[in-house]
Amino acid sequence: METIDINRLKSGEVNLGTSIMAVQFKDGVVVGADSRTTTGSYIANRVTDKLTHVHDRIYCCRSGSAADTQAIADYVHYYLQLYTQMHGERPPVHTAASVFDKFCYENKDALSAGIIVAGWDKEVGPSVYNIPLGGGLFRQPWAIGGSGSTYVYGYCDATYQEGWGRDETVEFVKHTLALAMSRDGSSGGVIRMCVITEDGVERLFVPGNELPKFWEGKEVLGLPLSTKKAGDEPVPMAIEA
Amino acid sequence: MATASVFCSPGFDFSHEIRNNFLQERGVPLPKATSTGTTIVGCLFKDGIVLGADTRATEGPIVADKNCEKIHYITDSIRCCGAGTAADTEFTTAMISSNMELHALSTGRKPRVVTAMTMLKQYLFRYQGNVGAALVLGGVDATGPHLFTIHPHGSTDKLPYVTMGSGSLAAMAVFEAGWRPNMERADALALVTAAVSAGIFNDLGSGSNVDACVITASHTEMLRNYVRPNERVQKERSYGFRRGTTAWKKEDIRNMVVNEDITFTGAEAMDTS
Amino acid sequence: MSIMQYNGGSVIAMVGKDCVAIAGDLRLGNQAMGISSNFDKIFDMTERTYVGLPGLASDVLTLHEQLRYRLNMYTIKEERTMEPETFIHLISSTLYEKRWGPYFIEPVLAGMQKTPSGDFRPFIASTDLIGCINFAKDFVVAGTASEKLFGVAEGLWEPDLAPEDLFETISQTLLNAVDRDAYSGWGAVVYVITKDKVVKRTLKGRMD
Repeated sequence: METIDINRLKSGEVNLGTSIMAVQFKDGVVVGADSRTTTGSYIANRVTDKLTHVHDRIYCCRSGSAADTQAIADYVHYYLQLYTQMHGERPPVHTAASVFDKFCYENKDALSAGIIVAGWDKEVGPSVYNIPLGGGLFRQPWAIGGSGSTYVYGYCDATYQEGWGRDETVEFVKHTLALAMSRDGSSGGVIRMCVITEDGVERLFVPGNELPKFWEGKEVLGLPLSTKKAGDEPVPMAIEA
Repeated sequence: MATASVFCSPGFDFSHEIRNNFLQERGVPLPKATSTGTTIVGCLFKDGIVLGADTRATEGPIVADKNCEKIHYITDSIRCCGAGTAADTEFTTAMISSNMELHALSTGRKPRVVTAMTMLKQYLFRYQGNVGAALVLGGVDATGPHLFTIHPHGSTDKLPYVTMGSGSLAAMAVFEAGWRPNMERADALALVTAAVSAGIFNDLGSGSNVDACVITASHTEMLRNYVRPNERVQKERSYGFRRGTTAWKKEDIRNMVVNEDITFTGAEAMDTS
Repeated sequence: MSIMQYNGGSVIAMVGKDCVAIAGDLRLGNQAMGISSNFDKIFDMTERTYVGLPGLASDVLTLHEQLRYRLNMYTIKEERTMEPETFIHLISSTLYEKRWGPYFIEPVLAGMQKTPSGDFRPFIASTDLIGCINFAKDFVVAGTASEKLFGVAEGLWEPDLAPEDLFETISQTLLNAVDRDAYSGWGAVVYVITKDKVVKRTLKGRMD
């Protein structure tokens, strides 16, 4: 059987080479994303909003092809509006995520979309669903996605704890995304976050020059400072005239 | 031939696909269509939107048109710059323009920029990037000024300043250095001109003149050939040939005006007095 | 080799003062082999509108018939002749209809356009094989010798040429360009269109 490369992007396609994330906490969920969209090596948009509204208390984080994920999100947004009219109440997050999954799975040959759906509903409170590349619906306490996510699985495993409040969760998302963006060339720009609770959606923004900083290396790698003697400092190379 | 053509269904006709695919399988490559190797830009300013475009159309390395129009009409207060396959940008914008007019007529409202953007992205997404139109859509509606880029696969971005086409990198460099929020009209127009000029002079796919279009809530001003930095100089001398240089074998003249000499014969004219 | 080079052939149109000219070669080939030196690819569509259809010979005939059919339907329905500016849009939409399997033709049009005041003004245009219109003010070219025609025409064309001078300029442009093209030549035909007459002249060309 011929294998299908679901990772492929159509040539020249706009890519969300992305770091995205969603974490649930006691009162709600925090979703976050970087802001970079690329066409090849060119940054087509450095302040993209990858946190897409699909309903009052449900957002999705998009990764993969920009065109595909926008089209899916538009369809789901339409579907959920229809749902609200027909049922007279807000859709559960699981319903929204199921619609996403349906699109992603049934059209897996034509789409490249990795989506995280998160939000709050009155049935189960906060929830996060991960829909990876070929479809499939997985509820997780936290989910990361996009090309940048591979660099920070270890950090998330080591750091995440149950029972966090809003502020700790926001800090966790911010730190994770900053780490992913610093390692992944396809991610970068600013951090956008949304805190979704029963009461509403709060948008948070971290500019590119205020990202949390981690260890970024020393100017000269070598001996520890304490063992260095005076005169050991590097001297500029002599250039012959 | 004619009998087969009596019924014309609307939209694309795929009837030559089989023949052309056969030719392609035999190693005959499909010829290149005219593309607009283009610099197109747009920028937001205090009262509205300025759009800009160069005027070169290319067919591979050949300049097919030195002064083409790349800023297309959508509605009175919405315009769209096109890059990519020239015929696709031309027909896609014309179709959306037509649908926007119908939409305006059926709703009785001035249509919005997002409406045009949604129509365009859904159309382009349906053709999965095969309709090669890269667009900059700008305009002013009841909800204020809006500026979008639409990629051939159907993804859209909303930004205060945008560039597209092969000269987009050169033009974006100018915007990144010079764009400020709440610019005056004159400053925005100057910045757009500088951005398109950067494309004209630094990108081989772009050239000739700068077209600009200023859209505000009350008025849309199309500035065709706003700057012409590449005017051709007067030829030093005439290269006209002396009449009779070219020998010809045969001449057929088709006269549209037929002169008829009328000869009166016989009886005198009737007395009509 | 591209299918556009399969049969060979080139066409050019130029604007003069109150006149237009359109000229094309007469070669029909099968790749490098010459088949006919009497393959006229310029057609009179209305009294003052002429269209050159260089490209794949089978499509030349098919597209000509298709255009003739659509033009006749327009003429019957509208009870008036089609103006050249309208006709180039008819050509354009006919070609774009087959966007995903095109006719291998790059049409060139020349005609005298009726103005509201009843005068005639020169009009030329060309399209690519999927119908993107090129409205030029000076000249348009197409076919296997298009690159050479561009170069020669760019050098020889000047504004406001009288019909007889335009005939010389377009003839020399075509003749000299196709002499450097292996797939075009074998004679040429030139039409000079003014408001009240069309002069068709057949030129002698190199037969190699």
